[in-house]
Amino acid sequence: MASTPLDDEIERLQARADALKSLLRIQTSTILAAPPTRALLTTSTAKTRQNEALLARADAQLAHNQQSLYRACASLTTFRARDPDPNAVDAGAILGVRVEVVSRAKFLRPYYVLLNRPYGGSGSRSRHLRVHRHTVPPCIPLAGLAARYLAPPPSNGGQEEGKQDLAKFARALRRELVRYHHRLGVVADLRKAAGLGGKKATGDGEEGGGEDGEGGDGRLVDISAADAEAKQISIQWADGRTGRLVMGDDGEIVKVVAVGDHGRDREAVRQLFGDAKTVGEVARRLAEP
Amino acid sequence: MPLITIPTTARLPSSLRIDAQNPAVSKILSRLSRASLLTLALDWLDEDNQSLAAPFLLPDDHDEDDYDDDAFPPAPSLDALRQLYTDLQARKGSKRDVLDRFLEGDWRHGLTLYQLAMADLQYLHDHPLSQKWAAYRITPLSPRDPSDDTTDPPVVDKTSLVIPRFHPSTFLSALQARVLPDVKAHYNFDRHRTLPLLLLRIFILDSPYNTTTTTTFFGARTVYLAFPDASPHVFVSRPQSLGGAAGAGAESKSLHALLLDGVPKALSRPRQRFALRSTKLVTRNLEELIARKGGAQRTGAAAGGWGVYADEKVRESPLETVLPTPPLSEDGGDSGGRKREGPTSGEERAVKRARLVARARFGGSARVGDGKGSRREAEGDGDDGGTSTDKWRPYVRLTFHGTHVFAGIRQLVEHGIIDGERMPGWMTGEEGVTVGAVRDGRIRGFRGSGV
Repeated sequence: MASTPLDDEIERLQARADALKSLLRIQTSTILAAPPTRALLTTSTAKTRQNEALLARADAQLAHNQQSLYRACASLTTFRARDPDPNAVDAGAILGVRVEVVSRAKFLRPYYVLLNRPYGGSGSRSRHLRVHRHTVPPCIPLAGLAARYLAPPPSNGGQEEGKQDLAKFARALRRELVRYHHRLGVVADLRKAAGLGGKKATGDGEEGGGEDGEGGDGRLVDISAADAEAKQISIQWADGRTGRLVMGDDGEIVKVVAVGDHGRDREAVRQLFGDAKTVGEVARRLAEP
Repeated sequence: MPLITIPTTARLPSSLRIDAQNPAVSKILSRLSRASLLTLALDWLDEDNQSLAAPFLLPDDHDEDDYDDDAFPPAPSLDALRQLYTDLQARKGSKRDVLDRFLEGDWRHGLTLYQLAMADLQYLHDHPLSQKWAAYRITPLSPRDPSDDTTDPPVVDKTSLVIPRFHPSTFLSALQARVLPDVKAHYNFDRHRTLPLLLLRIFILDSPYNTTTTTTFFGARTVYLAFPDASPHVFVSRPQSLGGAAGAGAESKSLHALLLDGVPKALSRPRQRFALRSTKLVTRNLEELIARKGGAQRTGAAAGGWGVYADEKVRESPLETVLPTPPLSEDGGDSGGRKREGPTSGEERAVKRARLVARARFGGSARVGDGKGSRREAEGDGDDGGTSTDKWRPYVRLTFHGTHVFAGIRQLVEHGIIDGERMPGWMTGEEGVTVGAVRDGRIRGFRGSGV
C-alpha cells in the first residue's frame, strides 16, 4: 500500500482524536467524582432527566472509585456474580475472590476464584463453599489449598464438622500467587544482571559483542526457570558447564550444583554465588561490576 | 552382524539402522507428502543430525564404474546432496521418485530409528488431527509411612501442595528401567513446533503381548505422550499399529493400560508418588487440549462465558479512574462513531439479542475458525436408581458429532434456534470435558471445575 501524505495526515489526526477522547474520559471521571460536582447536582432544584442521568453516572463513578481504592489497598477483595447456567446450583449465586498481584511496579490482571455453594440441596442449608471456576495458573496448588481450607461438608453426618475458612484460603492463595510472581521476577532479574537481555535470547550478535570483557568461556549464556513453579533455575555457561539452582518458597537458595566436564564444579558455584543466601542477592552481585 | 548377542533391557538406540527394504520403512515414509519428504531430507542432512541420519555418500576408495548402473548414484559430498534436495523442492515431481531416491539411493544402507521417528513426527505435524488424545491429570499420592506395612493401595493426597516436576531424561530412564523393561522400544523426544509441548514418541517393536513380529515390524505400535509446559497434565494418544489404524483389540488395550500404569510410576520419586486421573477430555485436537489444560494460561478453568475473567487483553488496574464499560456493551466506550439506527423491528432485535446471549454464554470461545474443534459426547442420564425421586426420568444418550461441536452450538444460539438463556452450561464447553453424565442439567462428577 502506498501511503500518500494525505493518508499519513489522516492517521495522525485519528491518533490525536483518540488521545483527546481518552483525555476527555479521564477528565469527565475526575469532574464527576469531585465533591463540588456532587453537591451541585444534589442541591440543584431542577429535576431534569439530564440531571438525574448525571447523578446516576456520578454514583457509579463513586462506587467504582471506592472499589478501586479497596482493590489497591487490600489486594484481596470479594464480589458477587451470577452463573449464566440456568441449572446452576444455588440459583447461580457466585462469590468471587479477586487477588491483586503487583509485579514490576504494575498491577497485573487480577486472578479470580469464583466460589459457589453446591451443598445446599436436600434442605440441609449447608453454607459450605466450593471452587467453581478460577483463573489461577496450574502451577499454583489451588486444589490442595481448597482441600485444606474449603473442605466439603461431611457426607451423611460423618465424623467431625468440616470447617471452612475462606479468609485463610484467600490469604494462602494470595501468598502462593505473590511468591510465584516474585520468583519469576527474580529469574528475570538474574537474566538482566547477567546481561541476557529480554525474555528470549536476542540472537548471537548481542551475546558475542556485549560480554567479551569477561574472559571468554566463563560467561553465562543462559539462565531460565526450569520448572512450572519457577523454583528451579537452570544456568548454562559458555564452555558447556551447566548448573541447577533450587529456590525455596521465598527466594532463598536451597541447593546449587554446577557440573562441568570433570564432574562437580564447586569453584564455579563459589564464584557465582559467594555467600549469598537468596537469589535476589546473587542478582545484585552479578549486576555490580 | 554382531557375533555375540546379549539380552538387555536397555532401550533401543536411536542410531540403530533398519533395512531400507523393510516394509515398515516404506510404510512410514509413504504416508508423507512430497514436500514433507523433502523437508525431512534436508533436516536429515543437517550438520547436527549427521551422527544419526548420515546419508550414503560416495566412498573415498571407489572405482570409476562402481555406481554407473545405479538409478541414483551416491553424491560426492553432503553439500552436493543438500543442493540436490533444495533443487528438488523447487521442481515439480512425483512423491514416488523422492521415495525411491531415499530407499534405493541416498539412504540405501538403511534408515535409523531416529529418522523414522522424525518422519512420524512430521506426519503428526502435517496431520494434527491424526491422533486421539486423552488428557490425564497428574495427582500426588499421600506418602506412606515406612513403618506401616499394610498393602492398601496408596490414596490420593488431596491436600498436597506438591506440583509435579517433569524432567525428560530422568523420566525416560525410569520408564525404561522400572516400567517397561520387557518392551523393546525406541523413544524420541521432540518439541512441538508451534505448541508449548514436549512430545515423546514411543515406538514399540516388541512387547510381552506380541513377540513374533520383531523382524517384520508388522505388529509395531506407536504411542505418543505429550507433556504440556508448566502444567500437571499428560496427554496420551492411543497406540497405533504401523498400518495406521487405531489399534482395537486386546493387545492395544493392554499396552495402553501398561502405559497408563507406568507413566505415573516413572514420574514418581522416592517419597513423592503420583497417580494419573482421567479428566474426561478426549479429543483429536492438541490445540484445544493446550487451551484447556496447558500451563501459564488462565482460561483452563474459566472457559466459555467465564472467559471475561481470564481475558489477558482487558486492562483492569485499580489505578484506572475511568469507569469501565460492561463487557457486553456494544460500544467500546465511545459511541460517537456509531450511527444509531432507527427503531428496529422485533425480528432484528431478536437476532441481535441472540447474538449477545451467545457472546455472554460462550465468550470468545467456540468460534468456527479457531481451530480448537472437538468432538463431544455427552450422556444424559436421568435415572439414578433413586430412592427419593418419584418423577419419571428417562435415560437418554446423546452424542454430538462434528469437527467443532461447540462452534456449531454457538451458531445455533446465534441464529435463535437454541434459546441461549435456557441452555445448560455444559453445552457451551465450559466444563472442559467431552464425555459426561448429565443430571439436573449439570455434568455430574464435575460440579466444580475439577481443580
